[in-house]
Amino acid sequence: MDSRRLCVIKIGGSLLRDSKSYLESAQKIREVFIENGYKTIVVVSAVKGITDKLIQVAKGSQEALRYVSEKYLEIAKELNSVKIIRRVDEELKRLEIVASAISGGGIDLSLYDLLLSFGERISKILMVGALEAVGVSALELHANELIVTNETFSDASIDYISTSANLEKLYSSIIDNPAIPVIEGFIGSTIDGRITTLGRGGSDYTATTIASLLNIDAVYLVTDVDGIMTTDPDIVENARLVRVMSYRESLEAALHGAKKINPKAFEPLEKFYSSKLIIGSWSRFGTEIVREISRDLWGPKVIMNRESQGVSYIAIVGEGTSSIPFIRRVLEIIDRNGIDIVGIQSYVYRPSLLVYVTPSYELKILRLLHKELFEGV
Amino acid sequence: MIKRIKIVVIGFGSIGRALAKVIALKRKTINNKYGILIDVVGVVDSKGMALKADGFDEYELLKLCEVPRSGVNLFKPYAYQGVDLDVLYNSTQPDVHIELTPSEYSSGEPGISNIIYAINRGVHVVTANKAPLVLKYREIMSSALSKGVEIRFRATVLGGTPFIDTLMSLRSHDIERIEGILNATSNFILTEMHEKLVDFNEALRMAQALGVAEANPTLDVDGVDAAAKMVIISNILEKPLKIEEIYRESISRVTLRDIIDAVRQGYIIKSITFFDVRGGKASIKIVKIPKSDLFAQINGIMNGVRIRSDATEIVFIGRGGGGIETAHSILDDVISIALHYS
Repeated sequence: MDSRRLCVIKIGGSLLRDSKSYLESAQKIREVFIENGYKTIVVVSAVKGITDKLIQVAKGSQEALRYVSEKYLEIAKELNSVKIIRRVDEELKRLEIVASAISGGGIDLSLYDLLLSFGERISKILMVGALEAVGVSALELHANELIVTNETFSDASIDYISTSANLEKLYSSIIDNPAIPVIEGFIGSTIDGRITTLGRGGSDYTATTIASLLNIDAVYLVTDVDGIMTTDPDIVENARLVRVMSYRESLEAALHGAKKINPKAFEPLEKFYSSKLIIGSWSRFGTEIVREISRDLWGPKVIMNRESQGVSYIAIVGEGTSSIPFIRRVLEIIDRNGIDIVGIQSYVYRPSLLVYVTPSYELKILRLLHKELFEGV
Repeated sequence: MIKRIKIVVIGFGSIGRALAKVIALKRKTINNKYGILIDVVGVVDSKGMALKADGFDEYELLKLCEVPRSGVNLFKPYAYQGVDLDVLYNSTQPDVHIELTPSEYSSGEPGISNIIYAINRGVHVVTANKAPLVLKYREIMSSALSKGVEIRFRATVLGGTPFIDTLMSLRSHDIERIEGILNATSNFILTEMHEKLVDFNEALRMAQALGVAEANPTLDVDGVDAAAKMVIISNILEKPLKIEEIYRESISRVTLRDIIDAVRQGYIIKSITFFDVRGGKASIKIVKIPKSDLFAQINGIMNGVRIRSDATEIVFIGRGGGGIETAHSILDDVISIALHYS
């Protein structure tokens, strides 16, 4: 198999709600990728909301445990495979044992991560069932056997050397087989086999690690929106898709709280192999994130209003936004409209400009700057 | 010259699945190194079988690991309902029989019958099930000898290490005693009690949650498993013990108070299995040992054994029974047989 025909697809939890959504994702994987001659490695998240429920389970909520069990069993039953139902049932029984051990006393961190891991693990079993239901042969991989991490439970970092050895061994055994490997995101394990989790949004990190360690060119992050937007469309109705961003821009946006990508996901891409990230929904993949962008693509990419420690600010992210001409341009726009600001912050080595504002002007400045900088007026 | 070795796997719980996985990942490498191609031709659990005379490929082996417990009979198109060793053997003609059914110490079944069946069909046996060796060591070995087949069982004691092979190879030594921590589950529970200062029940729950202890932990907690291992060792040393002769103390009697008192005095509490080879006596006792003692450093799921002979002292430390480690021991036994008989 030519690694250029291989890609990684991460299915976000926002897409996984019920049996229909698993089948739809499976169908799309088939239509968009497999029927076009691509082989994929699929990384799955937990069903939407399940991780939060599992956190409640760790705090002793029987109701949350019931919710998780019923939700997953319902999906399994609708997929209508005896094998999948029995597998999910076995996992749920294990989950109950872990939950009862946790509620017994103080929370042990390794048990806590083990508990959270059931969300993704069961989701993976369901995705394999859904792929098989639409006629695609699929194979479960196990993150706890492949993704080796340090011992920072709940926010673990991946040990790339051990993980790469595991991935290569597996790769050579399964790559010639047409079956689609499916792995759960967000999960890893310590060298001595204790389950860890990679922190919120950790499935992106799993996906980029696998891609970069296996030299795979493209990572599709599939979610319920068409891509990264220039700003929050609920605030600015003319918000539009960002076509291309660099890792640096995207990381900067993530650091200012754009929730698209876990910042850790960029580390393997910077270190080993610069796979392209393609973000979007099954109807449209609107945004590409690449290692570097050419000079003519410099400029503001994303603008957002944030708050940090009680201070409101507008963050403008993009290569060139920390240059003097750009800062001057922004200040002129604000000044021309007779608005006061609290301050600005920018470092030449970071692709962002922060404009501190009084809360009453926040949305006004956001809309104004979006209009002037993004809407081509 | 490639030698093909056809194996059947009887019992498909966590060890069987780990074995299928390891074979899927390593059979090509093993073939390149030793010219031995391992073909899994049959997998059996309590409800049914999956049979493929020319061997499951890597993908199928990994896919087999996805069947639910006792669900091999769902593995289409190779599924067979019910267990019938005649059908298994006649349709697959195995070279090696891997016995991974659970250890059951009152009757030894189904392990004993399965192993005797394999021997009578002239098929080599690798077993991780201890019970047949514990109850019928001599009978099994002598009938294997008469049929010219090998019985290998590295996975039964310190399953993640080559302890058994080493012990067997110490032919010139006069072994005086063997002692150590032979059960990973009870050692894990005691370690938890020391490190987290929790009582036995809570430590047990933790062990069950992590999959270190089974739902019914009696065999491990009450020392039956450790005693069984000592019976196997005693047979290797030709000083056979019976399992019921071995004195046992259960770690369920250890209280948190005991632990705290011991730690205050500079000791820790361990479950130590001891075999006085000359005296022909063995026991499993809950003992206080100094913190500086070697066995005090062996914690969690690790096992450790000290062999003392008239010439030397040897210590083994390693995983007792992790799935992947045990699977490698089984696989090493299969490769040894293949090399020996090729």
